[in-house]
Amino acid sequence: MDQSLIRNFCIIAHIDHGKSTLADRLIELTGVLRHEEMSEQVLDNLVLERERGITIKAKAVRMNYPAKDGKTYRLNLIDTPGHVDFSYEVSRTLAACEGAILVVDATQGIQAQTLANYYLAMENNLEIIPVINKIDLPASEPDRVLEEIDSVFGYKPEDVLLISAKTGQGVPPLLEEIIRRVPAPKGDRARPLRALIFDSHYDDYKGVIAYLRVMDGGIVKGDALRLMGQGTELEALEVGYFTPGPIPAAELAAGDVGYIATGLKNIGDCRVGDTVTSLKDGAAAPLVSYVPPKPMVFAGIYSTQGEEYSDLREAIEKLRLNDASLTYEPESSPVLGHGFRCGFLGLLHMDIVRERLEREFQLSLIVTVPAVRFIVTVAGDRQVTVVNPTDFPPPTTILRIEEPWVKISIITPSVFIGGLMDFVIAAGGIYRRTEYLGQYRGGSELGQRVLLEYEVPLRSMLTMFYDNLKSRSRGYASLDYELIGYREARLVKLDVMINNVTVDAFSRIIPPEQAHEVGKAVVDKLKETIPRQLFKVPIQAAVGSRVIARSDISAMRKDVLAKCYGGDITRKRKLLEKQREGKKKMKSIGRVEVPKEVFLEVLKIG
Amino acid sequence: MYVHVPFCRRKCRYCSFVSYEGRTVAIPAYVNALKTEIEKCAGGERVGSIYFGGGTPSLLTSDQIREILATVRAYFSVSPAAEISIEANPGTVDETFLSGIRKLGVNRLSLGVQSLNNNELKMLGRIHSAAQAEEALSLARPSGINNVNLDLIYGLPGQSLEDWRDTLEKALAMAPEHLSLYALSLEPGTLLWQDIERKRVPAIDPDLAADQYELAEDLLAAGGYRHYEISNWARPGFECRHNLVYWQNKPYLGVGVAAHSSRDGRRYANTSNLDDYLAAFYRGVLPEKVLEETISPGLRLAETVILGLRLDEGVAAADLIDRHRETVDEMTGLGLMEYSGGNIKLTRRGRLLSNEVFWRFLPEEQGAVK
Repeated sequence: MDQSLIRNFCIIAHIDHGKSTLADRLIELTGVLRHEEMSEQVLDNLVLERERGITIKAKAVRMNYPAKDGKTYRLNLIDTPGHVDFSYEVSRTLAACEGAILVVDATQGIQAQTLANYYLAMENNLEIIPVINKIDLPASEPDRVLEEIDSVFGYKPEDVLLISAKTGQGVPPLLEEIIRRVPAPKGDRARPLRALIFDSHYDDYKGVIAYLRVMDGGIVKGDALRLMGQGTELEALEVGYFTPGPIPAAELAAGDVGYIATGLKNIGDCRVGDTVTSLKDGAAAPLVSYVPPKPMVFAGIYSTQGEEYSDLREAIEKLRLNDASLTYEPESSPVLGHGFRCGFLGLLHMDIVRERLEREFQLSLIVTVPAVRFIVTVAGDRQVTVVNPTDFPPPTTILRIEEPWVKISIITPSVFIGGLMDFVIAAGGIYRRTEYLGQYRGGSELGQRVLLEYEVPLRSMLTMFYDNLKSRSRGYASLDYELIGYREARLVKLDVMINNVTVDAFSRIIPPEQAHEVGKAVVDKLKETIPRQLFKVPIQAAVGSRVIARSDISAMRKDVLAKCYGGDITRKRKLLEKQREGKKKMKSIGRVEVPKEVFLEVLKIG
Repeated sequence: MYVHVPFCRRKCRYCSFVSYEGRTVAIPAYVNALKTEIEKCAGGERVGSIYFGGGTPSLLTSDQIREILATVRAYFSVSPAAEISIEANPGTVDETFLSGIRKLGVNRLSLGVQSLNNNELKMLGRIHSAAQAEEALSLARPSGINNVNLDLIYGLPGQSLEDWRDTLEKALAMAPEHLSLYALSLEPGTLLWQDIERKRVPAIDPDLAADQYELAEDLLAAGGYRHYEISNWARPGFECRHNLVYWQNKPYLGVGVAAHSSRDGRRYANTSNLDDYLAAFYRGVLPEKVLEETISPGLRLAETVILGLRLDEGVAAADLIDRHRETVDEMTGLGLMEYSGGNIKLTRRGRLLSNEVFWRFLPEEQGAVK
């Protein structure tokens, strides 16, 4: 196909601003699927994605669109993940496009990830079409948002489209604007093959399926190929595109978006961001430098029942088939038994993995307090990397500790600035700058919208940071972050003992001045959430051998079922069986039965 | 044999049992249905005890009780020395009724006194006063019933240790042969549960309830009562034979709405719905079973242990040690069980924590439940 008739674009937006709904409308309007065939948000495969309103894996759909100029265009819509944890995947998706629709919610205005995605799109030289969505809602304020877009991004109101992806209002003109404004691809069919992998997934029959944007050259079935970054050699067992189901095709040529089936068994051999070229007479240089993202957050994952260890291993291996950024290695804990230390791109990534393991594999899990990767220099000038607080070297041997810092951007209505600043500072944040967005015309009790930038230790963001941000801004503030490097830190390890047994899952690395407060909060929470046992249970928090907080759970005294009503022995037995099942779901620590909810509660303390 | 009478003048605020208020017009039809059920279930077995439970069995007339007992005697072999109990609510019995049923062979009266504190009775939604409870007992003696039980409830919202002591002392002064003391079990959905949820009455303090139980153990022991089962105390020789059938895991037949039976290695129960129960007899069939399970030998053994441990003598150590050595060691180590003669039994602390002991003796396999 003539490249001048191809448009490759993506939709970028803050979470819940309507990206998936807009994708659905475009697919429906271009007739790929009839209305009755549309399951809502067809691009979101995973149930979990739909429930959280987050698109985790990028997908691509080819649509044919007869434009008003009489020509039929081929539109390739590439869906992007909508969360900061997946910014690497977003950036690779953007690199596969020439244009981006920037969706802003008419009721919420520009949010932190709108900004982050906008900058990524600019870095990739994309033509951006700003769109204000949800104009059908009574609470929409298109005028205010138009002004914000002008002030922040410099787009005049006449360049911005007003739409409702839900009702379809304004979407047909958007299709025309895509044709008019997004540049056609300018690859060269005659040059050696270069195709960018922007997503991949594992298929039981065809192995790893790589989603590609072909920049130069072309791929036909049977081609021998090589990945320039990883060096993997493979054969294109099948070539095709999505509508949104896979359709095999004869060829993918310069300018096209589609997939190849590789037959590879390990998704780690075919990672996003790598460049595909021909095995023979391949290209000299890759499209973009291949830098797979490194996990930033680590936590131990254990099953509440020790005997489920092999099920857990199998489940993590299966998840990993489709999630190359998840890392894991076996570890064992004196208290929790055998499990895995997993690495995640961020907290959301961790939550998603945990939920998928529990839901799709019916596992009952305990997740330890998440930690970052510390670099500790110990006596003898030796550097050790610590991702599990339990492995923190003894304080006397430590010469120097370094921890990762991030730059955070918060967008919030100005009335919340005071409260937010207090808590970010308390979390160890360093103020960088404030920028007012748009022009304040008065009238809103919330005041003008403001961008705040801070630098904070990533460690501070691992527990309740996001919840605090939301609660202190009545849900209005949004957050984005990026890693800026390692800095020296003064930290200690806080241990927690239940019935005199140190629970490694609760150990955490914190600044010494917070030890007392956090220790007391953990002890109080444990006392409140661990049910009374048949004996008295001491709960202690300690730094080294120094106990800094202590509380006792007194022994249970009464658990008796008195009446045998009309000879109903069965009911009595069922109640006992239920009681026993309840115990089975608990983790036994130092003879204390600890419900798994306790672990979740303790994770929230920070 | 257990006979369920699911009628009450008013439903108590804590009650989640199968009983209906405002349905007393259905009593004659219900009595007929009971008689039919007794006929159809008859296997000619020996019956050592009959227990009218409820609901409020004392809402039946003595003629209705006569008809029911006559049917049982016609189709079963009722021992002449059989214990025949009836539950009664103070405020529903008079001397004529009591002497009437005594002549029919009823020889044990169980009075649902629950409390001898009028404020507590009101909170529970009882229809009688403390004075009426005392009066009911004073009527029993002249009518010839000399085996009387009082039901009392402890662990009530707002009930202090002294409130409970007061009820106990008044109850002891009434000199019953038998006392059943039950911890209030708060069932979701009941009116009292709603009261607590909405904070109209204080929540129940389990530690205070434990103190109350221990106080009762002390006072009743001093009063000459034998604590023969977790919730039951009796003067020697007045242990309730009917309830011992349950604890000794012996067979029993229940008739009436929601009545449970245990026969031939099976447990089953009738529908809990009064209309369904009555409708079945209009159609000439037995009521639907809402529970029917076969008790495997393993489960039967476990039940025998769990039920037997409720009794003061406990169970034979030899039966327990083979299969449950570790559990027994753990429980004795924690002071919940103890050896006594050749038996193992619950300690004072173990009685209050008996559920924690019992679930440990459940077998891994489940009884087949249909």
